Amino acid sequence: MSTETAAPVQMINVQIDGVWLQFPKGTRVIEACRQAEKLIPHYCYHPKLTSPGNCRMCLVELGSPKMTPDRKPIIGADGKPEIGWIPRPQISCAQDVSEGMGIRTNSPMVLESRKGVMEFLLINHPLDCPICDQAGECKLQEFSVDHGNASSRFLERKVKKPKSVELGPRVTLDAERCILCTRCIRFMKEVANDDVLGIVDRGTFNSIAAHPDRILDHNYSLNTVDICPVGALTSSDFRFKMRVWFLKDTSTVDVNCGTGSNITISSRENVIYRITPRDNEAVNGCWLPDSHRLNFKFVSSPARLTLPEVRPQLGGEKSSWQQALNLAAEALKRNAGRVAIIASGRATNEELFLVKRLATILGAKVDILPRTGEADGMLIAADRNPNTTGAKLLGVATGQLAQIVAGVKDGSISALIALGEDATKAGLTEEDIAKLDTIIAADILPNKTTAKADVVLPAAAWCEKRGSMINLKSRLQRLNRAVVAPGSARDDWEILRDLILAINGSNGLHNIDDVFKAMAQETPALAGLTLSRIGDLGVDITLP
Amino acid sequence: MELPADFLAKIDEAISHYPASKRSASLPLLHLWQEQFGFVSDAGVSWIAAKLELQPINVLELVTFYPMFRRQPAGATHIRICRTLSCALGGAYELRERVAKAAGIDLAGFLEGQKKTTDHGHPHNPGHGNPIAISADGKVSMEFVECLASCGSAPVAMVNDNFKENISLEKAADLLGVTKSDATLPKVLPPHPREKRVVFKNIDVAGYTPDIECYLKHGGYAELKKALAMKPDEIVAEVKASGLRGRGGAGFPCGVKWGFIKRGGPKPTYLICNADESEPGTFKDRYIIHQDPHQLLEGMIISCFAVGANLAYIYIRGEFPEGAQILEKALAEARKRGFLGKNVLGTGFDCEIYVHRGAGAYICGEETGLIESLEGKRAYPRIKPPYFPAVLGLYQCPTIVNNVETLCDVKHIIQMTGAGYAKLGKPNNTGTRILCVSGDVKKPGYYEVEVGSITLGELINEVCGGMKDGRKLKAVIPGGSSAKVLRAGERYKLKDREIGLEDIPMDFDTMAACGSMAGSGGVIVMDDSRDMVWALNNVNEFYAHESCGQCTPCREGAQWMRKITDRIVAGGGTEKDPATLKNVADNIAGKTICAFGEACSWPTQSFLAKFPEEFAVKATKPLPPPMPPEYNTTELQQNETIEAVPAPRGNSKEVMAPAATR
Repeated sequence: MSTETAAPVQMINVQIDGVWLQFPKGTRVIEACRQAEKLIPHYCYHPKLTSPGNCRMCLVELGSPKMTPDRKPIIGADGKPEIGWIPRPQISCAQDVSEGMGIRTNSPMVLESRKGVMEFLLINHPLDCPICDQAGECKLQEFSVDHGNASSRFLERKVKKPKSVELGPRVTLDAERCILCTRCIRFMKEVANDDVLGIVDRGTFNSIAAHPDRILDHNYSLNTVDICPVGALTSSDFRFKMRVWFLKDTSTVDVNCGTGSNITISSRENVIYRITPRDNEAVNGCWLPDSHRLNFKFVSSPARLTLPEVRPQLGGEKSSWQQALNLAAEALKRNAGRVAIIASGRATNEELFLVKRLATILGAKVDILPRTGEADGMLIAADRNPNTTGAKLLGVATGQLAQIVAGVKDGSISALIALGEDATKAGLTEEDIAKLDTIIAADILPNKTTAKADVVLPAAAWCEKRGSMINLKSRLQRLNRAVVAPGSARDDWEILRDLILAINGSNGLHNIDDVFKAMAQETPALAGLTLSRIGDLGVDITLP
Repeated sequence: MELPADFLAKIDEAISHYPASKRSASLPLLHLWQEQFGFVSDAGVSWIAAKLELQPINVLELVTFYPMFRRQPAGATHIRICRTLSCALGGAYELRERVAKAAGIDLAGFLEGQKKTTDHGHPHNPGHGNPIAISADGKVSMEFVECLASCGSAPVAMVNDNFKENISLEKAADLLGVTKSDATLPKVLPPHPREKRVVFKNIDVAGYTPDIECYLKHGGYAELKKALAMKPDEIVAEVKASGLRGRGGAGFPCGVKWGFIKRGGPKPTYLICNADESEPGTFKDRYIIHQDPHQLLEGMIISCFAVGANLAYIYIRGEFPEGAQILEKALAEARKRGFLGKNVLGTGFDCEIYVHRGAGAYICGEETGLIESLEGKRAYPRIKPPYFPAVLGLYQCPTIVNNVETLCDVKHIIQMTGAGYAKLGKPNNTGTRILCVSGDVKKPGYYEVEVGSITLGELINEVCGGMKDGRKLKAVIPGGSSAKVLRAGERYKLKDREIGLEDIPMDFDTMAACGSMAGSGGVIVMDDSRDMVWALNNVNEFYAHESCGQCTPCREGAQWMRKITDRIVAGGGTEKDPATLKNVADNIAGKTICAFGEACSWPTQSFLAKFPEEFAVKATKPLPPPMPPEYNTTELQQNETIEAVPAPRGNSKEVMAPAATR
């Protein structure tokens, strides 16, 4: 709760379609109309970018109070200022509301203007919606329904422009579909600070282009595809893969770094087709780096671990879950007091909470594997683990990793549980871990640790589970399941619960919400919260 | 890349003219590169970008926007023939054919090649990329260009940098050997008795030269001395009192514009002289620049002092290469004499002026487009609000943009005082104007008259010697090609009286009351032999070519109108075309970022309104049958049933078969 008192915001009286409303000073006309539920169709305007006013779709009628000769507004019979209307339509995207302003969003002049602009936008457009990736989420289609003509009166030859142009490794341009709104150019210049896009040629031949010496290879290039209102810029990765209306959208969180950017996973029949940013002003605005959004192919890798496995000396090669968990529990009990757990900063709070429980039961040392890279000054944090904050809060990130490594090397640790991490990345060699009595590994893909493990437990990827994480700015956010884990692979919290169960009996955790509840009871920072209450946009929490 | 030292020195000199932003040197560097190497290669684009610390796309954007820059070499002799209305009336199309023949250029093959399909099976976009035709031996190349601003001496052309006027069709072949320019040639005609020469006082005067000695001998820079002894506010007050209205086209009161400048802010104020004379039909600034450059400089220095600007630019159109040199020389002379530079004439006032060359884009005449161009960008006009130049102009600083003639008038206002100047002309239409007459009159040319002192009829019949023999007046475009056309025999109802076309006094207000505009003073006269559909198509081609393409209605609509009139002229007019044309024009006007929207739609609106019968006889074909059946959403929602056979479009007699039987 903030105790600061905000400076009083000056409220401005504005008439929209005959109704007087109040808006804070500095509100754009187009935003005021949006708030008044009068959506103004627009293409070039984007709240995060400068307004060039070039598409001319957002034309409205504007007026200002009629003034007496001594510059006082003339008040009408209704006690409100009388409005003098500007005789020609004005764009609503580049002006703030002003006191006594009148706005008409659906007058005959406005509707006629939109209809005219809509027609201009379409006369040279290829109208190739059946094969266009944007179909279904295209603003040209959307506003055509309201303002378009049923048939064309354009008898001339259309302007021909470059098609299938690779602007960079990840973005493809169809210049004929482009309406030259310049959102992509402005994004690269104003947000990405990499002014590589421009317009070549002139007049009706204008085309978006990159110079061959400096292509569009910036790590945020795919955001231009997100903000392109039409099918001009498409993701080379997603292009022609799936009609968007077949896609199921799941709101979740990116796990490639500690920022925890909000994302939408679009999938169909358990296959992920694309990941796009989801608006969250408190986290990522509406942007997402390319490297993060394209990092999902491993989820559908044929190498995924799909069945529990146990080594021959412990039993069968492939195993049932119960058998595997029982064997694991026995081995761990045998090594009680000499167990260490290497957990992951990519794990959810719920999983980490159970890891801590398991460590306590086994008297095990526990830590997470740090993962760092370079921060990009935008959305990529140096900490490449998405939930370091949660791991610290829940007592799993302890700084004991060096002791664990030393213990394995000197033999004082004889059993190792690797949860979603490869122990050889923690400073241990394959020879080191080969000396261990027992290795239990839960993971989604094979690695050097699973290769040596006595029990391998197939787990779920981030897009396959529900749970929560805390980003580097102490924002508690929720992951949702977009697709289900392959084969017999299980949600990690279930694996941990069942392992604990196999070691020391019932714990009363039936679903993920129970885990959160139990965790919230024991963790003051999470007090009063539930998974549902986190919501799609997350909540800020106060860390101890 | 190894580049000659003198070339590099010129580059550095050019960059030094833009202390606020190196990017502004983009156009000058591209000009230097093209002068040095004949064209702007890909390597040139990259080199210039690196030199100015820009991305290569920033420079590529310019090379492809400004038609004067070539990305391929031209012939050793490169001929640019003006094709815009006045020159077309003067035979530019025939001239092109004759020049092609003389140069061994296969013009028919070149034009046919424009229509051929590309590798991808698509037809080329006709006219796209300003193609040039090259002779078989590669020595001569030729292109059509838009208005060269010498409409009164049509047809005109440029042979390399040499301007050539009054080209005789019979001697078209002589163009190939041109090595001297006509740009500074004085005309022999003495001023007409109806004229009142103020700004043009020294134009075409025998023995008058553009150097400073001559200017000083004729009393030059006396007004500067007088002005520097005044307070800046007093000068602004004089200009306000003079009632001077801008001579560029919009006719905005100059003193009011100056009054918008807030003094004493943290940002510098800039003055820009708009010497991008490019409205077809207008050719007045050309003569001031070429024959009397110091008059302009004096007006500019006074104006700088008045608005508090210490740095000014003359944005001169690229097609005036000699004019730019003359101005450079005049600036050097003025600097040497202490009229420019630090501490002007010992008054403590610092003033510097640089010449900035455009590169063939009409839109640079729009003041915010000009500012963008001067900042080294594509000349995309800015939205107003918020980018009013007086507040957020060049480099987002307060900026005044004035036309050449307007700035010259400032000098004369200082001389005769504001009240004295206001005595010339009529109230609210004060001073003199240079009227540029071109087209089908006996004596086309420039005539400086007191505003409103002469009627259109007197101008044509008396001053310009009347229509060509045996011809009658048919139409007049009174203020540059964007002004609405007027038809001979029309009557106009004014507040107090009704007048005919020839009775219209040549002032701002009456011309507006008659439904057109005085604009830039370019009067294009057409006689009864002219086809109005052809004339409109010529104008439409100009605007389609010159649309910057920034905002939707103009980018798409200007080209659409051209395509329709082009088709009508070629014999393919359909009965719906006039209505469609008018509606397209209506959908552009008033909906664009800048006044180009009106400029390109007014001709279509007015030609259609004034000469409907000429369009009707050429627009007779039935529309092609529509695709079956198409309904709009409202029809589907409101009607119980929908007819299976849609009503035929237009007046077509064709009846559609039911969709099911196809």
